[in-house]
Formats: sequence, structure tokens, C-alpha cells
Amino acid sequence: MSNWTQGTDPSPYEPELGSLPNGSQTGDEDTVNKTGTTTIGIATDEGVVIATDMRASLGGRFVSNKNVQKVEQIHPTAALTLVGSVGGAQSFIRTLRSEVDLYEARRGEGMNIEALATLAGNFARGGPFRAINPILGGVDDEGSHVYSIDPAGGVMEDDYTVTGSGMQLAYGLLEQEYTEDLSLEDAKSIAARAIKSAVERDTGSGNGVFLAEITDEGVEIQGHNAFDALL
Amino acid sequence: MQGQSQQQAYDRGITIFSPDGRLYQVEYAREAVKRGTASVGLRTPDGVVLAANRRVSSPLMERSSVEKIHKADDHVGVASAGHVADARQLVDLARRRAQGEQLRYGQQIGVETLTRSITDHIQEYTQTGGARPFGVALLVGGIEDGEPKLFETDPSGTDYEWQAAAIGGNRDVIQGYLEDNYHDELDVDGGIELAVSALSEPEDEVVAAEEVDVATITTDDETFSSVSVDRLESIIEEIDQEEMDE
Repeated sequence: MSNWTQGTDPSPYEPELGSLPNGSQTGDEDTVNKTGTTTIGIATDEGVVIATDMRASLGGRFVSNKNVQKVEQIHPTAALTLVGSVGGAQSFIRTLRSEVDLYEARRGEGMNIEALATLAGNFARGGPFRAINPILGGVDDEGSHVYSIDPAGGVMEDDYTVTGSGMQLAYGLLEQEYTEDLSLEDAKSIAARAIKSAVERDTGSGNGVFLAEITDEGVEIQGHNAFDALL
Repeated sequence: MQGQSQQQAYDRGITIFSPDGRLYQVEYAREAVKRGTASVGLRTPDGVVLAANRRVSSPLMERSSVEKIHKADDHVGVASAGHVADARQLVDLARRRAQGEQLRYGQQIGVETLTRSITDHIQEYTQTGGARPFGVALLVGGIEDGEPKLFETDPSGTDYEWQAAAIGGNRDVIQGYLEDNYHDELDVDGGIELAVSALSEPEDEVVAAEEVDVATITTDDETFSSVSVDRLESIIEEIDQEEMDE
């Protein structure tokens, strides 16, 4: 209330609840859990596919966790990947979820994906989340959307996009296999194959694949330790 | 004596309820709205029309300095009745909120969301010690998801959605006229005609073109635009003609 009576507006660059901690992401490369990671988003007419590997590492040299779910639902029809600092990404996800819920509760209608991407870009730019490079995938009235969000808050939409340390390996496969008329099933298979390429050769990526399927019905996420059934 | 001094206490403190549950200062603020000249808003399938009576107290006053219709954002306009200076504060809040939405979400703010942020602000002034409520009512009209929308705010911080509404002096007479004559198949020109006729209803004759300020936000371009005096003159001529025929 004091906010209003003093005539100041809430900052459009900050979350409504909680605040952005001060300072940039610091910490020893070797003690902060990172998802070296390969994460992929593909938009199709039927919906969005997001695929991520399952490895967390310390400094890209020690595997600190072999069973990480790096794609999380943040909206009834959108999901975000964790890329970079695990702590930064988890906090980013919690913040976005509460923003999405508040927006929906106040206005009686959900945030569309463009608004969600803009908000995510604002937070990535302004906050302690800097060491992240996630993909946002979602479906709204306008159709399927995939955005990459960079650590400086850059927000770019594309038909398909990859972030993380294994990105070159995954792009190699996607550049050959992606077509505009992919079905959701085909996109899942291509995404899993692209993750497999990265898992085989990128030391920051490994241990299996999580697949998220996003349609106007919602978000479904499944983990797979083995690739065979998916390819 | 005792009774009277208690009565005065309830009526001075904005944050104090009277024993029968009323906030006198808020009710006085509504009286302030009634002292202002009227504004009218209505929606048609093709857009929203806002119209305000802009009477001047002296022929030497520049009429354009009496501002009762304001653009809040490209797609939203605000008409006011009551204290003009209070209205300006709320309009500025609305403008900042509309731009804040662009910064935060990269999108145009919805008319309902914008109205809510104005009424949330108004409400705080009914609950904050040492403050005075806003002595103004607003009509907030615009396009949201391609649909014309019209809302009213009152000094208590309540918002209402309307098809057609009047605020300010002679509200009851004008609202009655709207109730008798509004229908949901009006086009925008018909809407302007109805709004001007409604504002003229308490008067002896149809108001002159330069005595009213009219703006539209149509679904075509979703853009606030003021209606020129020339266009108003031809619409008012039509009204005069119709009245002569009757």
C-alpha cells in the first residue's frame, strides 16, 4: 500500500513477490552445480517438444548428479529448461511460476507465451539469474512457440532452438532433420536423437533424456534413461 | 451537542466508519462528482464512444484547456466527471500502468486490467489516514482482444462494466435517456449521435459542437481518436433535423 500512496509504480523488471538478490552470480566454478547441458525446443503445428539431457556437473569435469530433470512446467501450457547454474535456474522457475499464477488469478485469463517470454527476458537481464540460458516452449491461442533466453535477457523466437554446452552437436542433427511440417511424434524422435548426439560427445551432457510434450491440453514430461525406444 | 460532535468525527476521518457502516467522506466525494459536468460513454459493436460536456465559465476562456477526455494508451481513452485535477492524477497513473505493461510483458494492457489498477489506487485513498478520496468518476473505454469495452470507476474504488453509462451532473436524466435509446446494433456514428443527444437531454436544446468533446476507439484501428468539430457539427445537424421531424 505504501507503494501506491507514495505514487511509485512497481518495477516492470522485477518479480512482484520476493526480490532479486544483489550482485552477479559469483562462486567457484568447481563448487556450483551446473547443467553443462543440451536442451532442445522444437515448435510444430501440433505442439512443442522440449528435450533435455540428465547430467549435472561441477565445472564440467565431475558428474554431480545423473538424474536431473532439466525441463519444468511453469505455466498450464508452457515449460522452461534449466541451463547454467542449477540454483539460478531453479529460482528463476519458482519466480516465473508465481508470476504466472498471480497473473491468472487477477485477470481470469492466462498469460500468453509472448508475455511470458518478455517477462522471463526482463528477469534474466535484471537479476541474479544471469548464469542461465534456458529455452521456453509453450502453446497459446496463436499456436506453438519456442524462445531461447540468454543470460543478458535476450529473447529470440525460432522454429527450433538449442542451448547448452552440447548445442553444436545437437544443431548438427537438427539442421539435417528439421522440416516445417514435422508431426509432434517425429519432432520427439528428432529431439531425442539430437540429445543422443550431444550425450555421446559432450562431457557436460549425459545420462539419458527428458522429453516434454506441450499441447493446448497441457504439459507432459517423461524421463528416459535409455534412448533405444525413442529413436 | 454530544451527538453532533460524534457525527462530525465520523465525517472527518476518512478511515472511520459511522455507526451505521458508512464512509461519509466517500459519499461526499460522490457528491463532488455530481457537481461536475457530465460525461457519457457507450460501446457499439464497432467501437467505444466517449463524450464530455466541456462548458466554459467565460467566453474569454480557451475551450481547449478544459480537458475531460484523455488518451491513456493507443487503445484506451478515459472520460472524467468531477474534480479535473484528481482525474489528471488517475489518468497519469493509467498511462504509467499501460506503459508498464508494455515493459513487463511486451503487450497492450487490457481495459479491465487497467481499470482495476485505477480502482485499486482509488480504494487505497478510502483506507489511508490523512488522505482524501478522489473526487472524480471515470469512464474507461477501449478495445481488448478486438472487443469494445467500457468501465466506470467511482470514488469508493469500485468498478462497473457498462454498455452505456453517464457520470457527473444530471447523471440520472442522462442515464435514463441512454436506457431508453441505447441498442446494441448502433454503428460508431450512431453512437456519437446518441452520446451527444444524451448529453443534451438535460438542456433545452442540442449542445453546440464546440461544447462537447468526443473521442472514439474503433475496432478497425484500435486507436484513440478525437472527433473533429466538423464531424460533430454534421452529426448535431442530423439530431436537430430529427427533432424537427418529430
